[in-house]
Amino acid sequence: MNKLLTTVSAALVSALALNSAVAHDQVPGDKQDSPIVLQGGILHTVANGVLTDSDLVFEHGKITAIGREVSIPDGAEVIDISGQHVYPGVIAMDTTIGLNEIEAVRATRDAREVGDVHPEVAGHIAFNADSEIIPTVRNHGITHAQVAPEGSLVAGQSSLMHLDGWNTQDALVSAELGVHVSWPRTYVINTWWERRSAEQQRKANKEARQQLMKVFADAKAYYDAKQADLAINVDQRWEAMLGLFDGSKKLYVHANDKRQLEQAIDTSQEFGFELVLMGARDAWRIADKLAELNIPVVFGSPYGLPGRDDEGYDQDFSSPARLAEAGVNFAISYPGYWDVRNLPFAAGNAVAFGLDQQQALTAITLKPAEILGVADKLGSLEVGKSASLSVSEGDLLDPIGQKLTHLYIDGRKVSLSSRHTELYEKYRQKPSE
Amino acid sequence: MKKVHQLSALTLAVTSVLTASVVADQTSRTNGMRDNTPSLTAIQNATIITEPGKSVSNATLVIENGTVQSVERNNRAPAGARVIDGTGYTIYPGFIDPYSSYGIQASAEQERSETPIYNNEREGGNAANDAIHSQKNWFSEFKTNSEDANKWVSQGFTSVQSANLDGIFQGRAVTVSLADKIPNDVIYQSTAKHFGSFDKGSSQQQYPSSLMGSIALVRQTLSDANWYKSSYGKQAHNQPVEFNAALDSLTTIGEQGIVFKVSDEKSLLRADDVFDQFNVPSVYVASGYEYARLDAVKNAESDLILPLNFPAAPEVEGVDGHLDVDLADLRHWERAPSNPAMLANAGVNFALTLHDLEKSERFWPNLRKAVKHGLSEEQALAALTTTPAKIAGIEDKAGKLAQGYMADFVMVKGDVFADGTIQSVWLQGEENELVSRDEVDFVGTYRIDWNGQEVAVEIKPGAGLAGEVKVGDKTSALRHVESDTESLSFVTDLELAPAGSWRFKLEPEAQDAFAVTAVSPEGDEITLQAQMDVPESKAETTNETGSVEYASELTFPNVAYGLNGLPERQDVLIRNVTVWTASEEGILEETDVLVRNGQFSAIGENLSAPSGVTEIDGAGMHLTPGIIDEHSHIAIEGGVNEGSEAVTSEVRIGDVVNPDDIHIYRSLAGGTTMAQLLHGSANPIGGQAQVIKLRWGTDANIMKFDAAPESIKFALGENVKQSNWGDNMTVRYPQTRLGVETIMRDGFQTALEYQQRKQAYERMSRLERSKVAAPRPDYRLETLIEILNSERFVHAHSYVASEILMLMEVAEDFGFTLDTFTHILEGYKVADEMAAHGASGSTFADWWAYKFEVYDAIPHNACLMKERGVLTSINSDSNDLQRRLNTEAAKSVLYCDMDPHEALKMITINPAKQLKVDRYVGSVEKGKHADFVLWSHYPLSAYARAEQTWINGRKFFDRELDKQHQQTVKKEKNALIQKVLAAGDDAKEGAKDGYKPAQPTWHCDTEHDFWLDHFTGKGHQHGGQH
Repeated sequence: MNKLLTTVSAALVSALALNSAVAHDQVPGDKQDSPIVLQGGILHTVANGVLTDSDLVFEHGKITAIGREVSIPDGAEVIDISGQHVYPGVIAMDTTIGLNEIEAVRATRDAREVGDVHPEVAGHIAFNADSEIIPTVRNHGITHAQVAPEGSLVAGQSSLMHLDGWNTQDALVSAELGVHVSWPRTYVINTWWERRSAEQQRKANKEARQQLMKVFADAKAYYDAKQADLAINVDQRWEAMLGLFDGSKKLYVHANDKRQLEQAIDTSQEFGFELVLMGARDAWRIADKLAELNIPVVFGSPYGLPGRDDEGYDQDFSSPARLAEAGVNFAISYPGYWDVRNLPFAAGNAVAFGLDQQQALTAITLKPAEILGVADKLGSLEVGKSASLSVSEGDLLDPIGQKLTHLYIDGRKVSLSSRHTELYEKYRQKPSE
Repeated sequence: MKKVHQLSALTLAVTSVLTASVVADQTSRTNGMRDNTPSLTAIQNATIITEPGKSVSNATLVIENGTVQSVERNNRAPAGARVIDGTGYTIYPGFIDPYSSYGIQASAEQERSETPIYNNEREGGNAANDAIHSQKNWFSEFKTNSEDANKWVSQGFTSVQSANLDGIFQGRAVTVSLADKIPNDVIYQSTAKHFGSFDKGSSQQQYPSSLMGSIALVRQTLSDANWYKSSYGKQAHNQPVEFNAALDSLTTIGEQGIVFKVSDEKSLLRADDVFDQFNVPSVYVASGYEYARLDAVKNAESDLILPLNFPAAPEVEGVDGHLDVDLADLRHWERAPSNPAMLANAGVNFALTLHDLEKSERFWPNLRKAVKHGLSEEQALAALTTTPAKIAGIEDKAGKLAQGYMADFVMVKGDVFADGTIQSVWLQGEENELVSRDEVDFVGTYRIDWNGQEVAVEIKPGAGLAGEVKVGDKTSALRHVESDTESLSFVTDLELAPAGSWRFKLEPEAQDAFAVTAVSPEGDEITLQAQMDVPESKAETTNETGSVEYASELTFPNVAYGLNGLPERQDVLIRNVTVWTASEEGILEETDVLVRNGQFSAIGENLSAPSGVTEIDGAGMHLTPGIIDEHSHIAIEGGVNEGSEAVTSEVRIGDVVNPDDIHIYRSLAGGTTMAQLLHGSANPIGGQAQVIKLRWGTDANIMKFDAAPESIKFALGENVKQSNWGDNMTVRYPQTRLGVETIMRDGFQTALEYQQRKQAYERMSRLERSKVAAPRPDYRLETLIEILNSERFVHAHSYVASEILMLMEVAEDFGFTLDTFTHILEGYKVADEMAAHGASGSTFADWWAYKFEVYDAIPHNACLMKERGVLTSINSDSNDLQRRLNTEAAKSVLYCDMDPHEALKMITINPAKQLKVDRYVGSVEKGKHADFVLWSHYPLSAYARAEQTWINGRKFFDRELDKQHQQTVKKEKNALIQKVLAAGDDAKEGAKDGYKPAQPTWHCDTEHDFWLDHFTGKGHQHGGQH
């Protein structure tokens, strides 16, 4: 009894301590109430190439003019950004930002529900808008993040969040984008930590595949029953998957091996799912097919170590270039949470290994916007789109270039401070001995 | 495989299997009638191989009372002997397996305790570690077991060396005959070799939990045995020297030697280093991979015991099969059968064993395969007889056929190394027939003259007897086909008058002539004659040696992207390159760099090219010193942590460097040329570190950079107090940062007191020393003394401010300087204090939030430390980041405007200073090692790509060559896959787990029990963070 009490109170204490520790101090920006003119910058529009020495105007959170001779609206704040670069907000796909705070501390993890099949859970529900992680990520020009639950089979649904919110609802851009599935393994591995024999592994792989196919079949039966107006009770799991069958939700399949990718394609064709391949390390092996079927790929290993001993050291570095060459519709992600801030540099690394620089930028801005269904608002610098953009003294994709001077999300001026800059400032003031 | 010819079978004297006990045991009483059957036996007309390379034909082997009486060349049998006709037979000395557990009860497999066990149960003066059983003399537990013996006997073996194969020092083996008699009669050598391995086996104790821990334990134990030898009976500092049966048994290991099982050729070399140090003669139970490092194995100058567990081919049949198989495994599938021949031709002595064979019946097919791959029959026979006899300590009684030797031999119809059949195995003069000598092989076609009409009966080869009968065009099958030594009988339907089921019996009369008895459907018996067509023996080409062609390359290491040898040292002049000197000179544009004799010999403008120097156009490129990583865990084998106990300063990463790790090559491709391989962070005082140069294509010792002073890993915080390891790991001291401090102080205090005892002993007179034992040499404490003497430098895993201050205070109290705090993420909070102490800092560029103690980590850390005067570097602690430390260093430019050249210094000259090797490497300066990288672009940029990476004037990476290499890997792999596919079902024969398991990516806190995984298959692991 005593022990239980102590445990509970200890838990409370630590929860309190953590809450106070994880609430960051950056105040979300005010709603844009007057026009802003960014004057004389190098505009990486993504949609229409690079415009040098150009201006960009935005009002009420939307871009209203782009060009060399724009008229300055009354009451506009004019900011001289001569020689600086303007980029559309980077959209990080495949993240657990806001769900995970400290990986090793279980109480701060909210990404992985128990069980194999939980399509009903949605990423935005537990999104912590006050996560200390968020400012450190957006300070690299990342304005939006797809937040996806994790799981062993059917993980849940992802949501698109902007990174300057007061709370979950405020930060939510788009809920329930689609259902995320970790595709069952299709191969066997030989390492000391895999204690199952090849035979046992094959059996387990097969069973997981069967389980997944049953999930789709059951969800389909539920959908069909609903379509036929049968009197059925609500099943939250299948309810969450209805959108897959009417085309309102996408199926995000997390898989790397060629055979997994092929199975995911076959299954999606069978059920008529709109498929997005996540991770997709082997996508280059079936690049022509992916291009032909126009299946979007979110390549998740831009800094990957080769997946197999016989692959070249630069296999993953050069995969984006190969996908581009084959005409695959692809984005680049850097899955994770705190380290997502390196996404622009990971895209830059793909340039070192053959990817066109504009395509690299597109792969972290417009392509994610298209895949997430928000390209009408985000992903490029175009009139009518959201004023979610960054201004950098140098190249956003290069650590020796990137230096953010301004960051806007829907026209709101976003603080560039973070837990990191604050601790930096604090300890710069520590007197020397 | 009944290939016994009929004629000889017919003419052989019929002998019954001798059932009497030839050598009566001497101490048992006889109940009932005594057995006094005479045992004098002579086998005549045989070819007798008396020992490898010595053959006598038409000879007689005379045996009596279990021993060989003589080998008579004149082919005469002594009067009164039983005579056996050995025409057509070859007699070999009985085969000896020097590595087995025959007749010894194996250790029971038991569930591991969920909570860790740090001390073992003490009984009978055993060792303090539960993996050491050296006091065991396995003869005392030996029991004959004829059923188990059959595994060996059926393959021609007559004796084995045996022990319980469990633990690190396993005790002394016993060499026994496989005869089915009481132990008293079959024990040939009661105290044979010590047995051992690096695997702690069934031990429940935590220590050792890694390969390096096992190596350290072997070293300490052998040292203890030496100490015990000179100390037992004397007074130690606190009491008389204890009785220790385990050490006592090891005091004579230098004379007896050890048979030591290793997992691969690299561990063979590791073991050999240790045993050489203590002058312990060693024999290694090898892995089959020795061919991959043949020269080094040869230089070990030890005998080997080779299992013949050639692997089954990897599965490549599926259209995606190539995705799951590595070139390295395909190569091994092709090369494994050549291993015995390669060793033999290199002059390495070895014996063969059934050990590790899934099925003992695979032994002969595999040995014949080895012969086909170039092993000579004489070498093979030596590996089965004289060599194992020597290893098992029975060379005076077995392994040869000569007077006085045991009558242990094998009778083979034909050549046992080609297609012969082992007919019988004689154990101490008793015959065990595997195939009856009288057995008649009826396979063939019999032509029966049936009143002028030919009736052809065909008996087909194969497992069961089957066949058909042909009369004219009509064929019908035989039923109820039976045979014994004298006749063949069957039933078949014939349309001969009268039609119906006929019964037949065939009996041999003369060579190829048979009497046929047929009974008609009506019951009439007819007698006929049959002539047999002897089937033509399939001419097997098993004796063609060395004719096997290989599709695989043999490289160093023998994996994809391996090299043919050390790259050649070149003198080069790089022209018009932008040089980042990492020295006072800063960045020099359009400069020439001359490399000669592995060093930078000139840096300047418009250098003249000496003759014989290759010029490289460096225009547009950047040249930097090779990147140096202060904190790496690549190229480590068998566990990165000996995290079992809180202090393990005796273990050495240098013992387990893995030159086969592909990450060496991948890191070269990212510009890294030197790395400090650190022990993990699972305990406060970890193991000794090893600085290497990334010399891909060499062996472990060549990779080691000997000029680097010794160093060691310490660790602080969450990992050492086991914060994230679950509820079971909560009993080891320390569990708090408070305890981390005290255990370190106590460790150093212990070391000081140990040193004082040693010094006191040094001062003693000879008389005093005759009564007082020398302090027991303790490698753990010796290492700590090196730290106290500033001969070994500490690199401490550290995160938070308090623990950094704590450790510096401990160091100051004990009079040494803490060298480097590694991945010190809160260094920025205590930079002034570090600078005052003289400690340097190595940090991650931007890692944080993966655990609570890194929640205050900031990417400005490097700048703040540097600004406050701390020597600062950026480390990887990751096989991924080690490939791109250039852009990690760039993050200090990004976050806090560090000067780019200063940023580059953080991955070159600064870590060189931290490792105290800056005299040799770390900058582009005249006289320093020519370790450098040519970059395609500004080297701190995301767009930079390493084009070439050089170490000591040798080019270890070249992007253009790599492109070609990627193609050749693909081509060679395809050729090998073709070979597997062409081999069909033959390729499926072999060991199912015959390949090396992949080594994992080690992290700082990858803390799992390496051995536990092996033994119980129920491992558990913590980690994945840093």
